[in-house]
Amino acid sequence: MDAVEKANTERQRRWAKDSKVGEGAYAVVYRGREVATGRKVAIKKIKVGQFKDGLDMSAIREVKYLRELRHQNVIELLDVFSSKTNLNLVLEFLDSDLEMIIKDRSLVFLPADIKSWMAMTFRGLEFCHRNWVLHRDLKPNNLLIASDGQLKIADFGLARDFADPGYKMTCQVITRWYRPPELLFGSRYYSSAVDVWSVGTIFAELMLRIPYLPGESDMDQLKTIFRALGTPTEEDWPGHTKLPDYVPVGQFPKTPLRDLFTAASADTLNLLSKCLVYEPRKRITAREALFHPYFTALPYPTHPSKLPQCTTQFSGHPLEEVDGNVEMNSTGPGVKANNSRLKRKLSSPNDDTKTRSIARRLDFTKHTPSS
Amino acid sequence: MANRSNVGGWLQGKTVRKGGIASTNSHTRSSTPQVQSTSSTVFGGGVKDASGRTSEFFSMDDQCPVCKSDRYLNPKLRLLVSACYHKMCESCIDRLFTLGPAPCPICNKVLRKLAFTPQTFEDLGVEKEVAIRRRITKEFNKRREDFPDLRAYNDYLEEVEDITFNLIYEIDLSRTEARIQAYRAENAALIERNIQREEAYAQALKEQEDTERREREYRAMELRREEEEEREEREKGRREIIDKLETSDKNAAKVIAKSRANALKRSTARSTSSTILQSNAKLLRSRAARSTTVPDVPHVPLQDDWYAYEDMFELKAGYQDFMSEAVRKDREGIMRGGGYKVEEAWERALRCAVAGLDLAPMASSTSVTDFDSGGDIMMASA
Repeated sequence: MDAVEKANTERQRRWAKDSKVGEGAYAVVYRGREVATGRKVAIKKIKVGQFKDGLDMSAIREVKYLRELRHQNVIELLDVFSSKTNLNLVLEFLDSDLEMIIKDRSLVFLPADIKSWMAMTFRGLEFCHRNWVLHRDLKPNNLLIASDGQLKIADFGLARDFADPGYKMTCQVITRWYRPPELLFGSRYYSSAVDVWSVGTIFAELMLRIPYLPGESDMDQLKTIFRALGTPTEEDWPGHTKLPDYVPVGQFPKTPLRDLFTAASADTLNLLSKCLVYEPRKRITAREALFHPYFTALPYPTHPSKLPQCTTQFSGHPLEEVDGNVEMNSTGPGVKANNSRLKRKLSSPNDDTKTRSIARRLDFTKHTPSS
Repeated sequence: MANRSNVGGWLQGKTVRKGGIASTNSHTRSSTPQVQSTSSTVFGGGVKDASGRTSEFFSMDDQCPVCKSDRYLNPKLRLLVSACYHKMCESCIDRLFTLGPAPCPICNKVLRKLAFTPQTFEDLGVEKEVAIRRRITKEFNKRREDFPDLRAYNDYLEEVEDITFNLIYEIDLSRTEARIQAYRAENAALIERNIQREEAYAQALKEQEDTERREREYRAMELRREEEEEREEREKGRREIIDKLETSDKNAAKVIAKSRANALKRSTARSTSSTILQSNAKLLRSRAARSTTVPDVPHVPLQDDWYAYEDMFELKAGYQDFMSEAVRKDREGIMRGGGYKVEEAWERALRCAVAGLDLAPMASSTSVTDFDSGGDIMMASA
């Protein structure tokens, strides 16, 4: 047995697998614990043998970026080891996600709660961006909530490093409802502003308790955005008509955000509107957002330990049949599959899965590895 | 009302001058009636708790170090603390200091009668430290925002701690006082502004509490009104039944059953609309109850000093590098439209170049494993 193998077995012995909590086409997720301390973890077993062209791309991405990021508001990758032909990722165990909390009608959000979640999201995102990592799949069910209330950004399966000139990036990323207009117009050169747009739509969703911009197709998504925020002019967003997939989608007037968010304070709307600026270069950055007066104004952000927690308990009802891609996507810590009845009901579920799996497929083959 | 003025008193507690303003005297007196006093003088000051009260330390073993009188001889014995942090009983204070300033019988420092304060802590060292820290924070009230970077702020905190330490342990008193003087002269405007900011914050907190209280009252009123309506409704239903029984010639039992069913329908419709409201109110109440246990803390934009050391490089307006040539030219403007920022690429290159300059190399292999016990074998071996 050579040294590497020995180290691997040693590593493997540190963790114990318990029950299976979810399965997708590319990975199985187990509940587990650290043998020495009994700490709960999630073990994501990636089936290597099944792939013609090697290891799944999103697994590589997840390992590549999570190994480098360690922050209070980013999910922690505790260990990586191999067993037989499988690759195992040991992740922090987190019980719920923001989507479950948004959908739980028995919870009431105070403005201070939303502020606290937003602050934690921006903090985690700022940390990714300062380390030159784009998340590219921010949405409420990728924002996981730890038992102490801390919010953690998870699922780096679509992450990529940015600010490397000369490489094209794929525009088929980010779940549609949270996708910014520059990606919908097919831009291949974009920046951290894409994540900020996603956070903006999540911000709005926290206030509305329903998705803010639920488009039914890519085309409809643009229409939905423009209906909500007005069609951009060349002045609002110079150069957008030159983008590869640009198509005029009709003229919609600008309506003030105040009409929809009647109870929000002026600070809140100011930050929201800055997250949803059309011109990506003018969109607020995660770092600037942290300095926005919204966060320093009263009320103070709620202490994480007092934030509303999901009341749904861990239950062993049967798993929902879902497309492997989707499953892979949502199994950040592997708990998602249990709460299948909380899964978002899409207006046209089939359509959505289809485009999503296309996004993945494009990712595997056409994307030039960034390293 | 009384409760609210107390809250105000606590929030302004920092600015109450230690040792003898008439108003604080009466305040202390009224709120600490349990202390039996033999003296006609009212002693103020001392360390106030959150409600603006001074709770006095009291022990059965108390003995006056000056006259050696103890609680056995004098059950009303009350020890007070002098400006030089020596204890003595009220009768000694009356005896020694009524005729004007006199030296302390223990350390000979000249003391005044009104500068004696009640004792809160058993350990007089703590008493002294609390008083000194209170005095210092009143003037050294700069915040993180007042500094250009974290390093400067840390230096400032270090200096404050240094001064406090000197005052507590009486090291270099004259020089320390001079330092405080110098600071005061230098930062008069800023100190004033921060005091105002503090007051504005207290005001905002009070207003918030007021609105919450008003909301609660409003909800209670709403609930009362609903109950009233329901009662009237029931009354009306009963009258209706009687009226119908009087006028109609149908079977009495049928008439009653029908109107009962109607009433039930009405009341369920009403209650479903109000249960949501009620349950929300209940949830909010339980949230409010929890909020007293862990306080919310103000938002701190960045919790580390990542950006405090940006002076290591300077980003120029443009660079002639071949990697970013395509982006710089960008004839059709598609990169611009997509939001690509070539400045980020340059910044990344510069940051990566200077990133590790300050770090000391890791000493040994054991410290490496300590630092990252989950080190990745596959990466390490690759």
